[in-house]
Amino acid sequence: MADKKPGIDEALIRNLANILNETDLTEIEVEQDDLRIRVSRAGTTQYVQAPMMAAPQQMAAPSAAAVSAGPVVAARNPDNVVSAPMVGTVYMASAPGARAFIEVGAMVKEGQTLLIIEAMKTMNQIPAPKSGKVTEILIEDGRPVEYGEALVIIE
Amino acid sequence: MPMISKILIANRGEIALRVLRACKELGIPCVAVHSTADADAMHVRLADESVCIGPPQARDSYLNIHQIVAACEITGADAVHPGYGFLSENAKFADILEAHGITFIGPTAEHIRLMGDKITAKLTAVELGIPVVPGSDGEVKTEADAIKTAAEIGYPVLIKATAGGGGRGMKLAHSPDDVIEAWSTARSESLAAFGNDAVYMEKYLTTPRHIEVQVFGDGEGNAIHLGERDCSLQRRHQKVWEEANSPALNVEQRMKIGQICADAMKKLKYRGAGTIEFLYENGEFYFIEMNTRLQVEHPVTEAITGIDLVHEQIRVASGGGLSVTQDEVHFQGHAIECRINAEDARTFVPSPGTITHFHAPGGLGVRIDSGVYQGYKIPPYYDSLIGKLIVHGRTRVECMMRLRRALDEFVVDGIKTTLPLFQDLVSNQDIANGDYDIHWLEHYLEKPVE
Repeated sequence: MADKKPGIDEALIRNLANILNETDLTEIEVEQDDLRIRVSRAGTTQYVQAPMMAAPQQMAAPSAAAVSAGPVVAARNPDNVVSAPMVGTVYMASAPGARAFIEVGAMVKEGQTLLIIEAMKTMNQIPAPKSGKVTEILIEDGRPVEYGEALVIIE
Repeated sequence: MPMISKILIANRGEIALRVLRACKELGIPCVAVHSTADADAMHVRLADESVCIGPPQARDSYLNIHQIVAACEITGADAVHPGYGFLSENAKFADILEAHGITFIGPTAEHIRLMGDKITAKLTAVELGIPVVPGSDGEVKTEADAIKTAAEIGYPVLIKATAGGGGRGMKLAHSPDDVIEAWSTARSESLAAFGNDAVYMEKYLTTPRHIEVQVFGDGEGNAIHLGERDCSLQRRHQKVWEEANSPALNVEQRMKIGQICADAMKKLKYRGAGTIEFLYENGEFYFIEMNTRLQVEHPVTEAITGIDLVHEQIRVASGGGLSVTQDEVHFQGHAIECRINAEDARTFVPSPGTITHFHAPGGLGVRIDSGVYQGYKIPPYYDSLIGKLIVHGRTRVECMMRLRRALDEFVVDGIKTTLPLFQDLVSNQDIANGDYDIHWLEHYLEKPVE
């Protein structure tokens, strides 16, 4: 499609269309004096609006993370984040020196213990909210955590 | 009692900031706890450390004992200041802290329990020599009992269902002529409403003032009073305006009731700050209840005594005793506190939202205790108090003039506040004369706006 004007150079449009195909772009827009030509692929007529809308959404994630007090990583899919349900001290194993409950790359089942949070002299086992693969562990053994802090990513 | 090396402030809003300031002045590191809704709060920003303890709902965060104790553990805080409200009068909280070797900056759990129950509180007050509302010893069973008891108490008297509540089974008698009728009506109403016709009798106060005495004990049998506050200007039992000294008391009355309260606290071996609340009518005090914590309106007392009550609380909690003796306490000038709420000044409908512009008044004798700032978003989950304006002057007249000036300087935009109500009150003749009782404000608010 193009903003048609009488006496428009058809060759120019063809050229633009070729460039569009060669480069696999979805849209090209050129402006020269008071002539403006936009070439875009079919089915994307609303496309001009789309990047405008998408940009702020993409921006929102890092800025939210920057404002947040805890290291809540908003850029991740929140469905994958296991966050601390309580304040306490994290232990990655059932006893000092014992093997860690999980490691990066491990497959876990829903309900399986990921780690322990000690609060008020009580060891609270934190279960996996869903089955999946542990892609990231965001805390270290023995570290204090606050409510809502991201602990583990399961995808 | 061990020395305190780090204090966790188990509260939010202006009082958390108030306590934080005292910690800083005493050189004690402090930990702020907060809900997810309060991550941007001023007390969190200014604290040495902060811990998010839960979601916005207070029961899951500021009232969550488990999370608060865990926050003490991970930060190494060895004392907790509860502020007011939330867990400040929760005996179980005080017990749990003690079991964990953490100092509760407040009285013993035993004293919290004693004063937290209306019946044991009144019995304890009688034992300690604090005047209470005169009434029958238990049930009034016969007509003859009713006449005799009423004569002893003095009219008017209120006859109430022992099983009662909500005003049912409650009748007023003004003289011996109507006491029998009131007594039998109360009994039959009580039987109909509660299935029990037992009634008791109390003196009825028609136009009392609310006057409360600030006390402080070291827990070892030493105690002082810091004078009174007049909190008669109330709406739905919520204090709106507090002042000290009370315009209704003279020096002898002040020192007499103060001494009674201080002596009672010595006998009880009370520890820390407390407030004994009274109704006051015709020169007599009648005990209502005792609050075993710091009060919202404590800055009024600080203004006229020059004593920092939170410093004093921390000092007592760390075993340092009271910093002053009774004869070192002097009352200087007059102070008034206005509670600024995020509410409509007439309807009192809460008005949460973002503060778009904030300018606090200043100058000699003007104090603002507030955790809000320009751009601050008032969360809808908590109470509507956004700040307190406390003004001090050498005389009540000077104080009122200064208050009027300070109110005119105060700007809070973006939300509705109760500031316009105070601008009305400060130019009211009854207020200027100190001539008001606990019903005054509600009557005033019923009148159409001029």
